[in-house]
Amino acid sequence: MSVQKSNPPTRAIWLLQHACPRSDNEALTGDLIERFREGQSRVWFWKQVLIAIAVGVLGEIRRHWPHFCYAIAGTAMPAFLWKTVEGVPGVLHWYALPWPWSQLAFELSRALLALAALPVLAAALVINGSFRWVGLLRTGMINLALIMLGHYLLDYLLDVFPWLLRPVPGNPHLFTILILPPPSLELLFFSSFLVSAWLGCRSPRQARNLGLVRRPSSQA
Amino acid sequence: MSNRSYLGEMELMVLLALVRLGDDAYGVPISKELLNLAGREVALGSVYAALDRLQEKGFVTSLLGDPTPERGGRAKRYFRVTRAGLRALRMTRTALTNLWSGIPLLEGKRS
Repeated sequence: MSVQKSNPPTRAIWLLQHACPRSDNEALTGDLIERFREGQSRVWFWKQVLIAIAVGVLGEIRRHWPHFCYAIAGTAMPAFLWKTVEGVPGVLHWYALPWPWSQLAFELSRALLALAALPVLAAALVINGSFRWVGLLRTGMINLALIMLGHYLLDYLLDVFPWLLRPVPGNPHLFTILILPPPSLELLFFSSFLVSAWLGCRSPRQARNLGLVRRPSSQA
Repeated sequence: MSNRSYLGEMELMVLLALVRLGDDAYGVPISKELLNLAGREVALGSVYAALDRLQEKGFVTSLLGDPTPERGGRAKRYFRVTRAGLRALRMTRTALTNLWSGIPLLEGKRS
């Protein structure tokens, strides 16, 4: 038997260890290698890895569903609010205000964005039985920090590379960013909401659950 | 940790396989037990997902073994059923027995 045939696919192992969101991939990897050396094929190995990743992702969504609700609400809310406000006649937009009020309104809108979806997270956490004021406040603060950081990084990038901006036809105050086509900005927002909820709502009990104890070698 | 104490079908099968295997229960023998006794070819990732849920519910505990060369230097993760797990199994058996009883169609009798 060739070395190639006796060794499991290294790319599949790398993928399993980096893309599967489980707390302990080592045991699963070991089990797959054991079965592979018992005679399973490379196709079988790849299939097992892909299933493990899919199951792991679904498990994370199930385990952290309040965070996903928050991320979906937080991503959808700005677009919904923007469309609603735009359609109301007589509403003053931030760009119609004189400076520094326009700047202040623009900056405050980011804070509001971070805070507007918090009631959704609070409701989901209450339903899930894991509501904690500290977690909620921490999530809001982390999200605010992430949104502001992203905003200022993007500002810096656009100052250095102004050609990345293209005006939106019909609105002299709005621009599109060439490196961020429509879905990518939403994905960035979604990730920011998800990460902040995940970091903000972590409880000490969750951290303890990740700990694994080694079995005495005499029993192994 | 989830407050749900009932067992899903996959969780029930994995828990029964754990009871049958005793001290040598880790991913590979569990999946083989499911194939041999239940006729189900279950992916190892799905077995571990069920074991993680059972551990969250407090029905199983796990311990790491020593790394071995035939597993590429990876350790086995041994699982053991807790008292709460055994209690959940008994409750599920009672519930299922109650549901199965008194159905002539399923017992092969004519009504």
